[in-house]
Amino acid sequence: MMKQNSSNLSAMSLDKQNKPFIYTDEQLIARFQSGDERAYVELVNRFRDRLINFVFQFLGDREQAEDVVQDTMLKLYVKKHYYREIAKFSTWIYTIARNLANTELRKRKRRKTTLLSHMSRDEREYELPAIQPDTGSEVQSEFAEKLIQSAIHSLPEHFKTVIILRDIQELSYDDISSIVGVPLGTVKSRINRARLQLQAELKDLR
Amino acid sequence: MNRYQFEDLISEYIENELSLSKRKEFEAYLEENPDEMKLVESVRSNMSQMKVIPKVKASSDFNDRLFNRIQTNRAQLDRPIPSQRTYFGFSPIHASLMTGLVIATVFVSMQLFSPEDGGLPLQTQNFANESLPTLSNPSLQKVNHPQPDFVKVDEDSVMEDQKSKPNQDFSKKMHFVNEND
Repeated sequence: MMKQNSSNLSAMSLDKQNKPFIYTDEQLIARFQSGDERAYVELVNRFRDRLINFVFQFLGDREQAEDVVQDTMLKLYVKKHYYREIAKFSTWIYTIARNLANTELRKRKRRKTTLLSHMSRDEREYELPAIQPDTGSEVQSEFAEKLIQSAIHSLPEHFKTVIILRDIQELSYDDISSIVGVPLGTVKSRINRARLQLQAELKDLR
Repeated sequence: MNRYQFEDLISEYIENELSLSKRKEFEAYLEENPDEMKLVESVRSNMSQMKVIPKVKASSDFNDRLFNRIQTNRAQLDRPIPSQRTYFGFSPIHASLMTGLVIATVFVSMQLFSPEDGGLPLQTQNFANESLPTLSNPSLQKVNHPQPDFVKVDEDSVMEDQKSKPNQDFSKKMHFVNEND
């Protein structure tokens, strides 16, 4: 019985490839709330990569990011009736993912793990020169990416969230304001200050 | 424009969100301080670099793992969602508990206070209706306790006062000032 249900969901995801949905996110969640599980599969397909990319920037670990997004999608399945169409669906799902990522970060801090993102600047400087920037354009680009990512991870939480949402996820200021739950002016101010702090960090590292 | 105002407007300048007057003011500051242009360009460069950071993608078995988890938890997930209806801000369970409490309070109050007896407690009313206990020994009932002397003296003095102060009619002694005139 369980296996049959599982294969039904998988089949629905495959079915989607033949007949792409034309619904908006809000229409899909409405259909899912009325019991159409194909809509859920479509929502998962639409948001999984975006959310993994977002959470990865937070945690710096791909597997953990994927686990957090799995939890986010499971929560979407369980709590589907809690969504009300007063906000965009994307805002709601990003908020869930962000909260779960923050919970994971807090757990991690309690465990006192020393990932790259949590190392002091001295430690980072010790780690990063392993890739030399002058060994080729590809490596140079990879080096620059790592520099930027470690600079992002070194930002305070409230700066990190907004800059990831704006400059990497490319969300609008309004959406970021809804996800973070602070006024639009505060979001703009935080993003500006985050960019300046990032610039200062990168200036030191380069 | 000072340095702080300039820094506050960098993002809006890069994203082309400044009003015309503010933009002119910003550019005037840049002309006066050419070194600050490096800061603007550096921020702009970081922004564009962040946009091209390679995107992380979900693994190929992401959906299968998710759907398996859903099936595993199906029994838990299929439980009916508790009703979100509220009565005066209380959940149904709390509302029924509160109602029971109010009814119990009213019932106990009605038992304690009888409306016919002007609010006298029921217990007091019973005592009032009961006849006073009598002494079983009749000889003791007939005992006359002598009153102390000072009581008699007091009674006498009261009588004397009444005798010395007869009812006097003062109406004839009263007259108005104008009457003499």
